[in-house]
Amino acid sequence: MPDTLTPERAAERLRELSADVRAAVLLDAAGSLASATEEERPRADKLADLARRLFEEVDRATRDWEAEPPEQVEVQVPGGAVFASRTPRWTLAAVAKRGALSSLMLYDLQAVLGELEGRPPIRRAASVEERTPGPATEEHAAEELPMPELGG
Amino acid sequence: MKEKRKGPFSRAAGIAEGVAATVRRLQREREPRVLVYDPSGYARLIQPEARGHDRIMGLAEDMLSEAAGRE
Repeated sequence: MPDTLTPERAAERLRELSADVRAAVLLDAAGSLASATEEERPRADKLADLARRLFEEVDRATRDWEAEPPEQVEVQVPGGAVFASRTPRWTLAAVAKRGALSSLMLYDLQAVLGELEGRPPIRRAASVEERTPGPATEEHAAEELPMPELGG
Repeated sequence: MKEKRKGPFSRAAGIAEGVAATVRRLQREREPRVLVYDPSGYARLIQPEARGHDRIMGLAEDMLSEAAGRE
């Protein structure tokens, strides 16, 4: 994997980081589609348009707030969730499975945007890379949490 | 001050309470809602009756439908 993430790979990179991502799109500062996990262009364009309008509506809804413009958005809807994060240059939006952990999704979005801005990529620990690969989803991670022992 | 639990049954009850609280928290987190985060990570809820809330929910539902259509 190259050290510098290109915009063309950003959406797919997000899906690599999080198995809860169903689809993702990256928009440039002008709101144009830069990359998508969708192979069908019309569907990718539609998702990009919806993502752009999502932040427009958020900005409209929060314009009277005495606060900085939102950087990230989380919308929980029946059946799943939408997460989006932006920098002055990029907007990355993801449709996630129901049950995706918000904090992890938002962290992954920021991580990918960070990589696009030239920050070092997130890498798995070397010891994990050496193991036999398995399904590395957040759900599995939760299942692997140690359970407290009874008694004693 | 929280009362200290004694014995395995009390501990088991404590764990069950903890699991139930976690499940309730996860259910709350998945209720329909719009949250926005400022650059410092501070979260604010856009109230259901607020201007634009329904449009934001609608857009997110459309995005979900688009993604689901592919699967």
